[in-house]
Amino acid sequence: MQLEKRERSLLGLASILIGFLFIILLKTQGVAGSQVALQETAVPSLIQTEQENQQFSVENEKIQLELVKYAQGQSASTLANQQVQEAKMSAGLIAVTGPGVRITLDDSKRAAIGQEDPRLFVIHEQYIREIFNALWNGGAEAIAVNGQRVTTNTEVFCSGSYIQINGTRQMPPYVIEAIGDTNTLSAALNFYGWFKLGDLQQQYGITRKIEVLKEVMIPAGKLRDYHYAEPVKEGT
Amino acid sequence: MHRWKRSLALPVTMVAIALGFLISLQAQTQKNVSATEQISAERMGQMKSVLLNSQAQNTKLQEDHRVLLEQLDAARKKVGTDPQLLAQLEQLQMLGGTQAVEGPGIQISIDDRNKKVLFPLSPDVIARMINTLKFAGAEAISINGQRIVGSTAIVLSGSSTILVNQVPINRAEGIPYELNAIGDQDILLDYFSKLEAPNLKQNGLMVSIARKTLRIPSYKGVYVFKQAKPLVVPEI
Repeated sequence: MQLEKRERSLLGLASILIGFLFIILLKTQGVAGSQVALQETAVPSLIQTEQENQQFSVENEKIQLELVKYAQGQSASTLANQQVQEAKMSAGLIAVTGPGVRITLDDSKRAAIGQEDPRLFVIHEQYIREIFNALWNGGAEAIAVNGQRVTTNTEVFCSGSYIQINGTRQMPPYVIEAIGDTNTLSAALNFYGWFKLGDLQQQYGITRKIEVLKEVMIPAGKLRDYHYAEPVKEGT
Repeated sequence: MHRWKRSLALPVTMVAIALGFLISLQAQTQKNVSATEQISAERMGQMKSVLLNSQAQNTKLQEDHRVLLEQLDAARKKVGTDPQLLAQLEQLQMLGGTQAVEGPGIQISIDDRNKKVLFPLSPDVIARMINTLKFAGAEAISINGQRIVGSTAIVLSGSSTILVNQVPINRAEGIPYELNAIGDQDILLDYFSKLEAPNLKQNGLMVSIARKTLRIPSYKGVYVFKQAKPLVVPEI
């Protein structure tokens, strides 16, 4: 098709305009995107610094209080003993009691038939870890499973027919006990893994039971030796 | 003057109308965009000043903390606090995670921003890796600067933010995930590379493990015991 000169120039003008519009559009889009990314990095680091600040000011206050007590001539060993007790409580080396929940998980009593997957009939270490995670997230203050206190070093590791917890062999049923606000603890269990266990209970007959108790006893954890880690002062 | 072709009149009019409409729309959005740009720039500015503020506060608090710790050390020496008791306190604080530590260990860097990655790193997988490191006898573990303690919960917030100790750990720059573990380097390396690395690599994630002398920060959260009471009255 032959185009006249005027038509051609019109067409050219239109294409230039459209191209220009597109470029502006792309530019504005790009600017908006980079702004979002910047904000996303700023927020976590802000939360982190704020949290650190809070901890430092709390700790500084504590040290100042202690210094005042030293200056007043209080017994040094009493002070140190108090701190040791506090540290023991935080680390989970003191047996505690309080309101809480008891969760019982057990393998199914019946065996897999035909095409059924036998793995769906037993309690896996992952379920226990998921429940711990949910309970801690729900503000649990102390947790134990089969009488083993869960501390910083507690592993829940599948070793075939048994689960290794705190270096001990544990067999089903697994009884998890947690101290904390019973309402928040029960609410925290409303997560995917918990509902999945409910399905497994209905279909394959595993046990998933929760009891809310006025009093739960949680034993003390064990202290460990450190061979590699050395304490250092922070901020130096 | 040349006469227009009748057949061209309709399409050209339509094109002209559409173009006019587009241009006015563009002008409008351009106005909107520059307004939002200004707002978000202002917000960014405010955010930055807040961040800078809290960072400055952080440096000051850390400095105060260091000075106070020195004073405390001096005061303890002066009144003669039992050094054995202090050593016990440090060991307890290491277990509770409130003490920063340094020592030999392994650093695991994981990058999940690859095109081959089907699923980005999930809280479950992070919890699994940490469990394996505990099983390998790690004395202290951190992920993206967050110390792992007994009560650490790893949860997903929204669609992609991972919270560890209630703090978002996502990074927009550099390596997305850095796990540090202090302990026996050979055992840590052996267990992690055999038990965890293959699964991660199969999922398309980039994993690299390095032997290093590491410094792991203290746990910045606070241990709260509202419901849990010590079972045995501590002897003071």
